[in-house]
Amino acid sequence: MRVFILFLLITTACATPDKKRPIVIEEVELGVEEVVDYPKLLSEWDLFEEPLNQLQPKGEQTFAYQINSALFSDYAHKARFIQLPENTKINYVEAEVLDFPKGTILIKNFYYPADFRKPEGERRVLETRLLVHAAEGWDAMVYEWNDEQTDAKRLILGNRKTVEWTDKYGALQRVNYSIPSQPQCKSCHDMNGKLTPIGPTVRQLNREDQLISWTNNGWLQLPKEGTLPKLVNYLDQEADLDQRARAWLEINCAHCHRKEGPAKNSGLYLQASQTDPYRLGVNKPPIAAGKGSGGLKYSIVPGRPDQSILIHRIASMEPGEMMPEVGRGMNHKEGIALIEEWISAMD
Amino acid sequence: MGAVFSCTQDQAEPVVWKSIESDLQTLIIQAQDGDTISIPEGEFIFKNPLIIDGLKDLVLEGAGMDKTLLSFELQDRGAEGIRAANCTNLLFRDFTIQDSPGDNIKVTDTYGIRFTNVRSQWTGEPKEENGAYAFYPVLCKNVVIEDCIAIGSSDAGIYVGQSDSVIIRNNEVFHNVAGIESENSRWVEIYENHAHDNTGGILIFDMPGLTQSGHTTRVFDNKVISNNLRNFAPEGNVVSVVPPGTGIMMMATRKIEVFNNRISHNRTLGLALASYTLVEALGAEEGSQLDSANSRINNAYDPHPNYVYVHDNEVENKHWFPTFDSEFGLLFMRYFAFNLPDFAIDGILPPDEEFVLCMSNNGDIKFANIDAANEFEGRTTDWSPYACETGTIEPIF
Repeated sequence: MRVFILFLLITTACATPDKKRPIVIEEVELGVEEVVDYPKLLSEWDLFEEPLNQLQPKGEQTFAYQINSALFSDYAHKARFIQLPENTKINYVEAEVLDFPKGTILIKNFYYPADFRKPEGERRVLETRLLVHAAEGWDAMVYEWNDEQTDAKRLILGNRKTVEWTDKYGALQRVNYSIPSQPQCKSCHDMNGKLTPIGPTVRQLNREDQLISWTNNGWLQLPKEGTLPKLVNYLDQEADLDQRARAWLEINCAHCHRKEGPAKNSGLYLQASQTDPYRLGVNKPPIAAGKGSGGLKYSIVPGRPDQSILIHRIASMEPGEMMPEVGRGMNHKEGIALIEEWISAMD
Repeated sequence: MGAVFSCTQDQAEPVVWKSIESDLQTLIIQAQDGDTISIPEGEFIFKNPLIIDGLKDLVLEGAGMDKTLLSFELQDRGAEGIRAANCTNLLFRDFTIQDSPGDNIKVTDTYGIRFTNVRSQWTGEPKEENGAYAFYPVLCKNVVIEDCIAIGSSDAGIYVGQSDSVIIRNNEVFHNVAGIESENSRWVEIYENHAHDNTGGILIFDMPGLTQSGHTTRVFDNKVISNNLRNFAPEGNVVSVVPPGTGIMMMATRKIEVFNNRISHNRTLGLALASYTLVEALGAEEGSQLDSANSRINNAYDPHPNYVYVHDNEVENKHWFPTFDSEFGLLFMRYFAFNLPDFAIDGILPPDEEFVLCMSNNGDIKFANIDAANEFEGRTTDWSPYACETGTIEPIF
């Protein structure tokens, strides 16, 4: 057993006073050692060719992938890669995340093009998140890119960055982007208490010939028969409304809102495979929502998005009310509109 | 002195906080099983939640409830001040935590969680904007909350949900909507607490559609005094239907023994026993297009309370009128003014099984079966059907 008694070494800084009285914050150092279990710099992982910020994967075993429906992260673009160890293969799993061999690294880079109408143009990479499949299970870590865009440094406690971009309509957008702290990773990546990837399921990866090419490269063995499950892209206006809404709920909510997830205490389960309307929130009272209820009585009132707690929470920006609880500093307008349309269309 | 800080252009004296959150969180990330982390005396402010995951035998302690203060007033990300998950044997002791925009301390999926001598509060007048729960263990086993203080929660001060083997003892809870709430929990002992000046003092509730139903609760040796605060819970939450002036309320749960409590001056009702059917109807009445018939209750859920033994309590009420700011209070005014019951049941009984309620030795307690299903038509103050003694619940620990 170790006992830490914390001693204070004080430097003084100021906070923007939002309340009646100004607030002065004295930053205190406790003389804590650095976390040294994984490399301090992203470059040490040797995942990308120089210059790193071009995000060109290095070697045969590191490859890009795409998913059908993406988590909303303040409109950040994401460049995703997998690095598989030599001579290993991914085992097929139909309903959950694929079974990646030990040593696999899942890599997600978050960036903003300066102008969303020219996504290939100038861009700023903000952070790179790694999920590393170690001997004992998955580990998560976060790297924050420097302003020069030459490398990224490991971040334990998260950070805030003001980001500006021109959106697809030509309007200037700005957000106080939040890079998560390392322990926050597990606020979402938690299945039965174990840190687990979320995105790379067959239904997310099943797009164009992605999985076939993985099989051709020897990275994955697909089952010989049957059709592969497939999630729609919720942004695809041509797709079925119900399927689009359910895809949005799955990727934005169901990592927690499922029987095996941290929000199981709510009894609200939002996976695309859920068939029970009550579990999806139809006429379901909240359990521990507090002011998250917004004074409303049911998660979903069919035909009445204005009376549905679900809409209130995905459109709220208040901590303690907003959903998802983390990873969002602005509203996903298209997502909210989609879920409103879906609830409006319910009988 | 005030000129030292150029940012304090305001005339008011600045509030000075220390910030240790980055180093404290780093320490917790690096903590090993069995570690004790001691936060010194001082007033510390947090902008981010403090997260504890997967640790065993961790102690997080301050220098004393009145010496170490953790404020989450400036928190702008995350739904709780301290969030602990997937741990074994956590101990929090000797500090005050306050003013998180969400819940102050949430502990989930943890085997062994103990709070000792912790104050968890929202400062200022009780208000809607306060967070829901001061102490919030959920989906836990072996929970002890003792010698703690909970103030100002817009839902419940001490809330234990979907948990097993729970002791809530010797706490003081006030200015919350619910002082103490045990929800869908099993094997719970609530004793020697002082619940005063909440909307409702102690609630034992069972809600539909959750991971488990509750049962087996002992409520004894508590002081439940003057819980007459207005209800400031956001609508939609089940506690928003608790009438101001409620002492102890049991809803839809079974196997409860309530004894040796002093239940005084709760204006509307000292003791209440209700079905979820009634509570849901009260909640659904206004604002929503729904009526309760639309709401679906899963098959495993029984909305009726049963197997309740109320004995040896001292119940008194110096008030002649109930509180009026709830539908219930108005109904009580209409039917029972000047002669308020101390203990009321809604009379909505389980259709397919015997209803067991026993009352003994509660002094000259005034009883009412309000027959809520029939608009009070068959209301009665005759408690002879329930004048009985039944098996007491064995102490759980």
